[in-house]
Amino acid sequence: MTGNFWVVLPLICLIGGAFAVYLVARFLTGRNDLLALCTAAIFTVALSALALLRFMTSAEQLSTWGRFGPGEAFLRAEPGALMIASLAIGLGLLAALYSGHYLTLERRYETYYPLLLLLVAGLTGMVLAADLFNLYMFCELMSIAAYVLVGFRRRTQTAIEASFKYLIMGSVGTVIFLLGISFIYRERGHLALPAAAQGALGLWGRAGMACIFTGLGIKSAIVPLHTWLPDAHGRAPSSVSAMLSGVIVQSAFYTLLKVSLGLGFPARNLGTLLIVFSLLNMTLGNSMALVQTNTKRLLAYSTVAQVGYLMLTMGIGLRYGLAGAIQAGFFLVFIQALTKGLAFLGKGVSHFYFDATTINQLHGTAARLPLVAVCFTVALGGLAAVPPLAGFTGKWFIVTNGLRSSDALGFVGLAVLLLNSLLGLGYYLPLIGALFAPPPVRHARRFHISPWMAVPLIVMGALVIAVGLYPGPWLGWTAEAASYLIELGK
Amino acid sequence: MNAETVWLLTTLSAPLATTLILVLLHGRAVRVSGWLAGAAALFSLVSAFALLPALQRGDVPTWALDWVPAANIHLELRADWLAFPFLLTEASVTLLAVVYAWGYHHLDERSPIFYALLMLFAVGMAGTTLANSMFLFYIFWELMLVASCGLIAVWGEGSQRRAVALKYFIFTHLGSLMVLVGLLVLYDAAGSDSFSAFQAGIELAPALVTTVTVLFIIGFCVKMAIFPVHLWLPDAHAVAPMPVTIMLAAAMLGMGTYGVLRFPLSIFSMEQMAPFSVPMMVAGITSEIYGALMALAERDVKRVIAYSSVSQMGYILYGLGTLTYEGIAGATLHVVFHAIVKALLFMGVGLIIHATGRRRITELGDLRGAMPLTAFCTIVGALAIAGVPPLCIFDSEWMIFAGGFRTPQLGLAILSLFGSLLTVAYALWFIGRVFFGPRPPGLTVKRPHWAMVAPTVLLAILALIEGLVPAPVFDWVNQALAMILGGNW
Repeated sequence: MTGNFWVVLPLICLIGGAFAVYLVARFLTGRNDLLALCTAAIFTVALSALALLRFMTSAEQLSTWGRFGPGEAFLRAEPGALMIASLAIGLGLLAALYSGHYLTLERRYETYYPLLLLLVAGLTGMVLAADLFNLYMFCELMSIAAYVLVGFRRRTQTAIEASFKYLIMGSVGTVIFLLGISFIYRERGHLALPAAAQGALGLWGRAGMACIFTGLGIKSAIVPLHTWLPDAHGRAPSSVSAMLSGVIVQSAFYTLLKVSLGLGFPARNLGTLLIVFSLLNMTLGNSMALVQTNTKRLLAYSTVAQVGYLMLTMGIGLRYGLAGAIQAGFFLVFIQALTKGLAFLGKGVSHFYFDATTINQLHGTAARLPLVAVCFTVALGGLAAVPPLAGFTGKWFIVTNGLRSSDALGFVGLAVLLLNSLLGLGYYLPLIGALFAPPPVRHARRFHISPWMAVPLIVMGALVIAVGLYPGPWLGWTAEAASYLIELGK
Repeated sequence: MNAETVWLLTTLSAPLATTLILVLLHGRAVRVSGWLAGAAALFSLVSAFALLPALQRGDVPTWALDWVPAANIHLELRADWLAFPFLLTEASVTLLAVVYAWGYHHLDERSPIFYALLMLFAVGMAGTTLANSMFLFYIFWELMLVASCGLIAVWGEGSQRRAVALKYFIFTHLGSLMVLVGLLVLYDAAGSDSFSAFQAGIELAPALVTTVTVLFIIGFCVKMAIFPVHLWLPDAHAVAPMPVTIMLAAAMLGMGTYGVLRFPLSIFSMEQMAPFSVPMMVAGITSEIYGALMALAERDVKRVIAYSSVSQMGYILYGLGTLTYEGIAGATLHVVFHAIVKALLFMGVGLIIHATGRRRITELGDLRGAMPLTAFCTIVGALAIAGVPPLCIFDSEWMIFAGGFRTPQLGLAILSLFGSLLTVAYALWFIGRVFFGPRPPGLTVKRPHWAMVAPTVLLAILALIEGLVPAPVFDWVNQALAMILGGNW
């Protein structure tokens, strides 16, 4: 076991923290707010560890951990992986704080917080993993935590149904993924990622690639493998939905790119595939969101569409070798974590205080919870790409970079993207309208929002605006990630 | 940073700062919110005027900032001659609309947000005219939409307001997206996001020139509410609270014209634009006649005036489409004069609605005795829109028609001239029914608020003065055209 210990430190924090929180909950205190603080502290430590790691790695020589033979390692600190892991931990931190009050509805704190930590630990391990075996293990860890968290409201039948559906589809996904890994192993004889140049994939390798693409495609909700998502994201507690829609899906998608390129799948073909599927994702996600009446299902379908935007820009970047488009993709990942997370958290508060689930029940949010109405509006405006919010800046980068496409497919994709952003307005705006509609009863009670929930909302709302207005510093972050991915594709 | 740059920045930052202050103070600023907004609008107008000496010296006040160098995003504001008439119109209309709102808007705990959004709307319009880089332009362009849409959705009149706001947003956003695609193509060709670089000349394939021009013209026509993409306008104008309607009709519609002048006309040459001349003229005349007919058919006073905007924007598009000096100058002048008259008419209509509580023409009549001042002002407005000399619109329509007769399409010119008869018809019919005619039963008249009457009277006087002495405005417009038409014409 050699290598840079800092690479593994965040994982140790998260996994160790999960056990520690469980023990604290069982033997020391059962209080929700204290457990939330503990969890938040663990996330903070993990985030600091990642930040330190970020300063110690250089783009030329990536730090690794767990060297067995030459070129083999357990974990590798790739820039893109570091970015996504930091986002996940950051969002986890806010979700934990948020749960400090939100979860009093659900109770069973001793399982919730450890599961949240394991979810993020699985994600971090998955994106950092440097071989397929570890990647698979961490992917399962993340998935199992997610299944349980989706069904966390175990007394509501729909939650159990959603969790079960997610479990079945997710397990099928991971099993197919595992099958793909075994095919790859049969051909290559090792599982290192990225594989050393060994020429084109053979028959087994191609079959393996197809399996891996399908398996991870389920995880990243690529249409038509997305059917679990609206149920799972729509039924989970809002703090969990924020994690699922904000980072989990995107991290699975990043893993898909990393594995495909790492195993030698030609970047150009991968890009074409992604552009073609992105058209489905964008159109289907937005069309289905238009007809939803349940707020969370609407947001879940909008996630399907958002993944489509991500696939499109990454696809354009890979197909035409445009680092700028891939950079825009990473920027979009960042924005989605903010906007999607904020939207779900905002929705959760209204559910917490006045039990709003459908869009109509959100009427009067502005009168009852002004802060929530404003933050929710910022999130929805960001998702709808209204200037000057972050989502607009993200789409701006996508389109300006996408215009360098050298043939029609890229332009078709961009045209579909623009039409879809129009389609998106069709459901984001009525939702905003519902927030500011007069309350159904006269003299609706005005609630005082708990600071546990207010702080994450304010932080994320401010970030959505700040990132939209001044994207400069955040862009630098994504440049390294993009160039790494381009390098990987060569 | 010299004085001009400071004035340039204050034109924008005064209303922007007021927006922030009002939002932050929220419930604590209810009583002062209107005054704060009025002060900011006045300051913005004064700043805009203060730019005039610099422009006359031949300077161009500019402010630039390298915002995100990595992504090639620059922020650049620039007050040139083309922006100036539009900026001035926008700032004056905002000030008058805010003053009007003092009387029209009933103060409650949400009033600070109302005025904050009005100010944001003004920021969007001022920013659109001043922006000299693509990113900034688009942000302001959409800010205009977001702010006005919020005002309609929350403070609109009637139960349909949210549906109307949605329709307005989606229609206008569709236009914005077309403009955005056009801008992005120019950006790609010029390799810079500064409009100065676009203006310096862009090499584009002929097919791309056609595509971009079509996108720009359709996109801006949505904002101008030209038939058949005008569908958002009658609803939005009828539902919006009156100060917002005034800003929409008098100032925001002009932004579409500004866009046509700024992009296709000043970037492409006469030869490149020539194929679009006839389609633009035909669309203009169609809109002119359709709007006037619909105004004749409407029974809601606010919608009559709203359709008259569709008709008036038709004149403007026709003038632009002639591609002659007179036509384009007339169209630009018409934006300014139409703003005066349309604001005047909406203010008059607002006074009538406010005083009587009625909106249907069939339920109104014989108001000249009950509200003589309003009657006088509204009649001035109606006569002005009918193009009666010596009121201001006569001058601009004269130029537009003169431009029309300089094109080879004499048939179209004659058609547009006869189309203006319909304008006279609805204008006279409107004042005839509302101020003369039989008095319907049970019509009572409340005393109007001074803050609503004062701007109305001011505008009526202005409509007359501008008609008699159009020289200063004409001179500014001339400078603007000299800038964009250059040696081409």
